[in-house]
Amino acid sequence: MNAKKILRTDLQQMIFLGMIVAMKIILGQFSFGPTTVKVGLGFIGSVLLAYFFGPVWGTIGGGISDLVSSAIFGNQGGFFIGFTLTAMVGPLIYALFLYDHPVKVWRIVASTILVTIIVNIGMNTLWLHLMYGMNFNAALVQRLPKEMIIPWVQMVVIYVVLQAVSRVKIKK
Amino acid sequence: MSKIIIGRYIPGDSLVYKMDPRGKLLITILFILTIFLANNPITYAIITLFCFLAIIATGLKARVFWNGVKPLIGLIFFTSLLQLFFMTGGKVFWHWWIFSISSYGIVNAIYIFVRFTLIILISTVMTVTTMPLEIADAMEWLLKPLKVVKVPVDKIALVISIALRFVPTLFDETLKIMNAQRSRGADFNDGGLIKRAKAIAPILIPLFIHSLETAIDLSTAMESRGYRGSEGRTKYRVLNWSKYDLISLAYFVLLVGLLLIFRTH
Repeated sequence: MNAKKILRTDLQQMIFLGMIVAMKIILGQFSFGPTTVKVGLGFIGSVLLAYFFGPVWGTIGGGISDLVSSAIFGNQGGFFIGFTLTAMVGPLIYALFLYDHPVKVWRIVASTILVTIIVNIGMNTLWLHLMYGMNFNAALVQRLPKEMIIPWVQMVVIYVVLQAVSRVKIKK
Repeated sequence: MSKIIIGRYIPGDSLVYKMDPRGKLLITILFILTIFLANNPITYAIITLFCFLAIIATGLKARVFWNGVKPLIGLIFFTSLLQLFFMTGGKVFWHWWIFSISSYGIVNAIYIFVRFTLIILISTVMTVTTMPLEIADAMEWLLKPLKVVKVPVDKIALVISIALRFVPTLFDETLKIMNAQRSRGADFNDGGLIKRAKAIAPILIPLFIHSLETAIDLSTAMESRGYRGSEGRTKYRVLNWSKYDLISLAYFVLLVGLLLIFRTH
């Protein structure tokens, strides 16, 4: 049976959501690549939340992951509700492109570019500006070089991961 | 259960430890918001003093808090330097191309450094004195008003508890899978970015299947024990307000009062 259809009851869905949130938190602790361009794996959790739970519960799951992560590991840089919003909008954008749709390259490219522009460059820079009073342009300068490289790597990872999870079958 | 240390909680018995986690979470959030009231050297000095008093009240060693700031010290310096070179206004001391050092830039860089550090320090006070499960309970309490607008707070609370419970288990599982794949010859630290990106799937898929199977088993176990949502359920950990929460509230009100008096209007 397909992984998406195997969850029969509401309770199973909620517990699976909790497990994916836990996965997102753990993946957020890992990264790969050279020290100059470290790619964190937390985005895979956002993609899985979006792919399996859609825009509503995927968004809620994203918010929960930020809250639980700050409870467990303590947010580096301090807790700020803006970053919780960031954690919610990421899965929302991915869900609009990936939930209940076949895995297509253009969907992955479009969603990743939108997440990069709206969430990583736009919202996160705005939160840094609001939270620490940083000059918006200075914060952008600090962020832009990384954001020019990482999305392309993320697209490859998302494609590989979604191709794999969409084929997962479990015998029960 | 996992042997890894989850959370930064350090056991203790000081005034801050005796506070209700809901009070601590609320005061932490309010303190972070209050930092925005500071806008001159006097108000920054007042809020720094209050932050250090909160640190002293935890009864923990300064090293604990230094460890909270240490991983971010480079980022804080870099951010402050960017402010220093990009901010314009006031007396200009040095200028080259788009960079300049002005009196406004210097003051702003110092403010950002202080603000950044204070937010990290006060968050550390919260996380080192409160157990993750207590923080989760406090978050659930904070979310309760959303019930009025039909937000499924009970379901959200269930998801929070499941996530908190399974982070250590899945963390162990991830390390086990990584070691298993390494013993089969997988190399996660070699090759270009794309090769390393592709190496993630052999870790993620077993982890994903394990999570899915656990979700199915756990829900079957819960349903067979008569789980019917949060309706009528009692709490194992009961939260109680204490006089220490009142003391911290008075402390916070005093801080806000002083900031309102001394800030530049």
